[in-house]
Amino acid sequence: MRLYEFEANGLFARKGIPVPRNAVVTSPQEAREKAEEIGLPVMLKAQVLTGGRGLAGAVQAAESLDQVDRGTESLLASSVRGLPVQQVMVAQKVDVAKELYLGVTIDGYRGTPVVIVSSEGGVSVNQLVMEQPKSVAMRPVSISKGLHLAEAREMCREVGMKGHEVTPVASMLTALYRVFESYDCLVAEINPLARTTQGKYLGLDAKVEIDDSSLYRHTDLNLDVEGRIDNPRERKGREIGVTYVELDGDIGLIASGAGLGMASMDIIKQKMRPANFLETGGGITAELLYNAMDLVMQKEGLRAVFINIYGGINPIHEGAKGVGKYIKEHNVSIPVVAKALGNRQEETWEIFREHGVHVVTDISTEKAIEYLAGLLEATA
Amino acid sequence: MSILLNRETKALIQGITGRVGQSQTRWMLEYGTNIVAGVTPGKGGWVVEGIPVYDTVAEAVAEQGAEASVFFVPPQGVKEAAIQTIDVGIKLIVVITEHIPVHDVMEIREYATDSDVQIVGPTSPGIITVGEAKLGIMPGNMFKPGRIGLISRSGTLTYEVSVNLATAGFGQSTAVGIGADPVVFTNVTELLRLFEEDPDTDLVVLVGEVGGMQEEEAAEYIKKSMTKPVVAYIAGLNVPQEKRMGHAGAIIQGDGRGTAQSKVSALQEAGAEVAQFPAEVVRLVQKRLTSS
Repeated sequence: MRLYEFEANGLFARKGIPVPRNAVVTSPQEAREKAEEIGLPVMLKAQVLTGGRGLAGAVQAAESLDQVDRGTESLLASSVRGLPVQQVMVAQKVDVAKELYLGVTIDGYRGTPVVIVSSEGGVSVNQLVMEQPKSVAMRPVSISKGLHLAEAREMCREVGMKGHEVTPVASMLTALYRVFESYDCLVAEINPLARTTQGKYLGLDAKVEIDDSSLYRHTDLNLDVEGRIDNPRERKGREIGVTYVELDGDIGLIASGAGLGMASMDIIKQKMRPANFLETGGGITAELLYNAMDLVMQKEGLRAVFINIYGGINPIHEGAKGVGKYIKEHNVSIPVVAKALGNRQEETWEIFREHGVHVVTDISTEKAIEYLAGLLEATA
Repeated sequence: MSILLNRETKALIQGITGRVGQSQTRWMLEYGTNIVAGVTPGKGGWVVEGIPVYDTVAEAVAEQGAEASVFFVPPQGVKEAAIQTIDVGIKLIVVITEHIPVHDVMEIREYATDSDVQIVGPTSPGIITVGEAKLGIMPGNMFKPGRIGLISRSGTLTYEVSVNLATAGFGQSTAVGIGADPVVFTNVTELLRLFEEDPDTDLVVLVGEVGGMQEEEAAEYIKKSMTKPVVAYIAGLNVPQEKRMGHAGAIIQGDGRGTAQSKVSALQEAGAEVAQFPAEVVRLVQKRLTSS
C-alpha cells in the first residue's frame, strides 16, 4: 500500500529523519493560515498516490499569501494522472545547495533488502543507475542484522561524499532503514534528500509503500486502507476480498487465480476486450462469488461474463451456488460462460447449468473464450 | 524418481486440524501421499483422517520419522513454524499459506541459508510427483504421469497448462508451483537445475507471469547450463503498468523491467520456445520433443 507523502513524513519523524516544516490542508483558507505559521515562501504539493508530481505541475512554489490561496485552489480542483487532488501539503521552501538520493527496497530474486545511496537526486533511481552509474552505491543487507552505521558510511564514501557530508547522510540512511524495517516496507525512499545552503540535510520528498500482508501489525498507524483506492469498484473489490482492476472493455471476468486471470485477459484481448480483471485467490465461498458477480455486473455496457475457476483449494461447487443465486435474484440476461475444473467439477457444472450458465467442459481457456465469442456473434 | 518428492517421502501436515488442512489431507491421502503425522499446537492427541496429530514438529519427527512438511498455517504463524521445522532437520517444506508478510519471508529465507532444507512457496499450490504423491492443493485429476517437468509461478495456471498437456498425451514427472509472492524461497533457476539433473524428465515447461526477475534469471541459466529443451508461457501481456494483478509479485514498475515482453525476449534469446497462449504450450512441446 502506497502512503501519501504526509503519511510517509510522519513515519520519517518517528525515526528521526528531518523534513521541512509542513501541514496538510483541504482548503485555500486553511492553506493561508498554515503558510503564515510556517513562513513564506512555501511549496504547495498535491497529495496523490503517484510519482512524477513535479512534471505534472502538482508541486508549486508560492511567494505570497495570494499565491498560496490561488495555488491551493487550483490544485484542489485538479487531477494528477487521473487522480483527483483532495489534500495539499504546505511546506516550508528551503534553499537547496545539492540533491541526493536515499532508498531501501527489496531484491525480490535474492530475497534481501537492498540499500541505495546516490550523490545525485531528484530523478528516479532507475534513471540514476542508467545515466550516472558511478553516482550510485547499492548493497544487500542481512534482514536479521540490519544496516550498520559503518556500512552506511562506506556507501556514502563510495559515491564520493567527503568528510562533513558522510556522517549526517549515513545516519539518515540508517534511520531510513529503520523505517523500512519497522513498518514492513516494500520501498522507503527519500528523493531528493536536500543539503540546504545552510548545510542542513532535509528529506524533500518521501515515497513509502507498506506490504499489504503486514498491515495487521501496523493498525496503530490508523491508515485508511480502502479510502485511498480511488476507483469505487476497485475499492469495493478490496472490501469483499478480491482483487478487481477496472479495464476499458465489456467482457466481465472472474478467475480463481491471478495467473489464470491474466492469461484469460490475454486471450479475451485477441478478439474482444476485458471489462475488468477479478481474481479471488484461495478463499472462494458462495458469498464471495455472489459478491464478485455483483461487482463485475456494476460495469455499464457489459456484454457477457466469463468465469474461469479451478477446484484446488477452492470449493468451486460452493462458488457456483453463489453465482446461481445472483443470476436468479437479478434476472441476469447477458450470457454467463463458465469453465470450472478440478475437485468436484461435475457437481459444479450441474449447479451452473441449473441456473442457465453456459458450462464449457473443454479443458482450455482458449476454447471457452471462443465459445463465448460465438455466443455473442450469434446474438448480435 | 523425478524431483523433491516421491511415494515414499514421509510427509507431515502442519495446520492439519484446520478446515482447509483437513480436507486437503484427505485429497493428498487419496492421491497416495505417505502422510505420517500432523501438527497443530495445542491439538496433540487428535486424529485427522486416521493420521496422528502432535503438538510440535519435534514430536512428529521423533515418533513418525517425518521428512517433508506442508504448511496450512495461518500467515501470522508461519515464521515461528518455519524456524521450528528447519531446526528439527526437515528437508523439504512446502508453504501453501498466502499473505505472509514479505519481511517474514526474507527472515525465513535467510535463516534457511545455512541448512540444506528446500522450502517452496509461499502462496504455492504445492508439489506433485505425478502418480506418486502430492504435497499441496493441486487437484490430482489435472495431471498425468509422464516426462515433462513443470515449474509455475501461478497455481491456477499450473492446472490449466498441465491438463492441456496431459490431454494431448504429454504427462508430467513433477510439477512445482514456486508461489506468486515478491520473494519466494526457491527460485525458478534452482528447479531448472533439479529437472536438468533428473533422468525422468525430458523437457521443462515454465509458466511465468509479469513482475519480478524470475524469468530473466531463468533465461540466463538456460543459456549457460541447460541441455534439455524449455517451453515457456508468460501471463500478462496486457497488464497495464503499476496495476497489481492479484499476485503481490505481479506488478510492472515504471522502469520497463519485469514486463511480459522483456521476459519473452530473454527466454527466446536463451533458446526457449515461448507460447503466446496457454494451449499453445502443447504444440511447442510437441515440436521440441519430435525435433530433438
